[in-house]
Amino acid sequence: MIEINNLVKQYGDKRALKGISFTVNDDEVLGFLGPNGAGKTTTMNIITGFLSSTSGSVKVNGHDILEEPELAKKDIGYLPEQPPLYFDMTVKEYLDYICDLKKVSKEDRKKQLDSIYSMVKIADVKDRLIGNLSKGYKQRVGIAQALVGNPSILILDEPTVGLDPNQVLEMRKLVKTLSKTHSVIISSHILSEIQAIADRVVIINNGKIAAIDTITDLSRRLSGSSKLLLSFQGPLKDVSSNIRAIPGVANVATRNSNDRLHEIEITISNTSPDIRASIFFVMSKGGWPIFEFRSLDPSLEEVFLNITAGK
Amino acid sequence: MYAIFKRDFLQYFRSPVGYVAIAIFSFLAGFIFYSQYASGAVSISSEVISLRSFFVIIVPIITMSSFAEDKKRGTEVLYYTTPVDLFSVVAGKFLAALALFAVMFINVFVQMIVTVSNGGKVGYGEWGSVIVFFFMAAMFISVGLLASSLNDNQIISAIVAFVCILLFQLLSTISSYAKSAVNAVVFIITQDVEASAKAGDGIANVINWLDPFARTSDFRTGVFSVSALVFCLSIAVIFLYITYRVLEKKRWSQS
Repeated sequence: MIEINNLVKQYGDKRALKGISFTVNDDEVLGFLGPNGAGKTTTMNIITGFLSSTSGSVKVNGHDILEEPELAKKDIGYLPEQPPLYFDMTVKEYLDYICDLKKVSKEDRKKQLDSIYSMVKIADVKDRLIGNLSKGYKQRVGIAQALVGNPSILILDEPTVGLDPNQVLEMRKLVKTLSKTHSVIISSHILSEIQAIADRVVIINNGKIAAIDTITDLSRRLSGSSKLLLSFQGPLKDVSSNIRAIPGVANVATRNSNDRLHEIEITISNTSPDIRASIFFVMSKGGWPIFEFRSLDPSLEEVFLNITAGK
Repeated sequence: MYAIFKRDFLQYFRSPVGYVAIAIFSFLAGFIFYSQYASGAVSISSEVISLRSFFVIIVPIITMSSFAEDKKRGTEVLYYTTPVDLFSVVAGKFLAALALFAVMFINVFVQMIVTVSNGGKVGYGEWGSVIVFFFMAAMFISVGLLASSLNDNQIISAIVAFVCILLFQLLSTISSYAKSAVNAVVFIITQDVEASAKAGDGIANVINWLDPFARTSDFRTGVFSVSALVFCLSIAVIFLYITYRVLEKKRWSQS
């Protein structure tokens, strides 16, 4: 568990972080979003002890990063945006060195490295020079480095930057696997990635927290209420009035209509439970075939743009 | 500390740096030894003393990448985010560079064996020169490490180290220039011959106090002075400490 309390970071005249507080719970994946220069990397650097904050505190499993740095750092595995790799070492030599730095005992070393090799799938390249590996493999070695020492918290700064679509998918899978046994803080520009992986999202803008919430609640909160899109064949007027009669429906508006197909937007009041089943039965009872039925909640992308645009 | 020492020492042999340094040193040591051998008067101590004047080239080659490379590649993050103490990082890198000197010095030990087996003499004076060599190497390596910690460009690190070590080597020349300059200025102001000579001597003494070469000149004759060794060691510790503070400060400034 990480408790971040009122972090402020001043660079000369510039205040990069203006009082950031949030908590990362055990075995949770926290997405960290924000435009470039918002303070994401600065925050991550402070959590890992790479930078010191001007004021505020970071506690990792109860240990303050400044007062008990050794204990706090033991629990953190960090993959910075540029993985800290030595290109002229082999993967094995490099991970051995990291074991030395993280003070992994000789007895545990082999077992731990073997499990890391298989988890991040780098066993086949362990005798190759890191400099000769593809970008995807380099990133994996970077994650392997973070996993050494069995930390309970992983901090990944944009782990998919520069990877091809296949590698991105694999990396996402890997992070998902890791999230079963670790708390993960992951920052990314690819919002769909955060949407796919994270339990909660922290959106940071201009050194301040703009929003913290689960992805669903965040979209709901921003749109004020949920919306559903329904496209069907049948009498538009009858369908609209029937659906409006369902408790919890706040409004029904026509989006598109032609001879063949109608499209309506159903607004659901914030407090109502899931009414999708009721809508389905109304349509089925009337014998009106449904062609499309989906949620119109803003994607994380829209939420992100809304929040960071200062709305 | 051992982890850093091991990686940095082996790193010299993963890159050309170690081989280049050893090649230059072997060439110089071999050349000096051979010319002595050819003239029929071998003196290991004068060879080692001549080799000292090449610190200015060899030390920057060895130390230029120590911290600058880490900064450039982003690997310095490992020193700050793993449970390793920053001073042991500095100490590990320092010992790795010193160990490379020990490897280079195998040349001279072989020459000693050749000298003795040919009926030559290796006595206190020779061992004194060797001891001084290593203490000075330690001192200049710490200067080079500080230069390397100040920026992320190896070439600039090497140039800064080169200039600093050159200044140390030129201290005796600087002191004699300073002496006559101060002497002249004070004489113009006071018109007092005695006072101007005193001021000139004073400044020369201060500069000479800093000169490690002058302090250790007796070692070749077999006269060892602990204070000279303590001096070299103190300078090394001071520079290592400043290097440590430079690394520590990075946490607080913009990366």
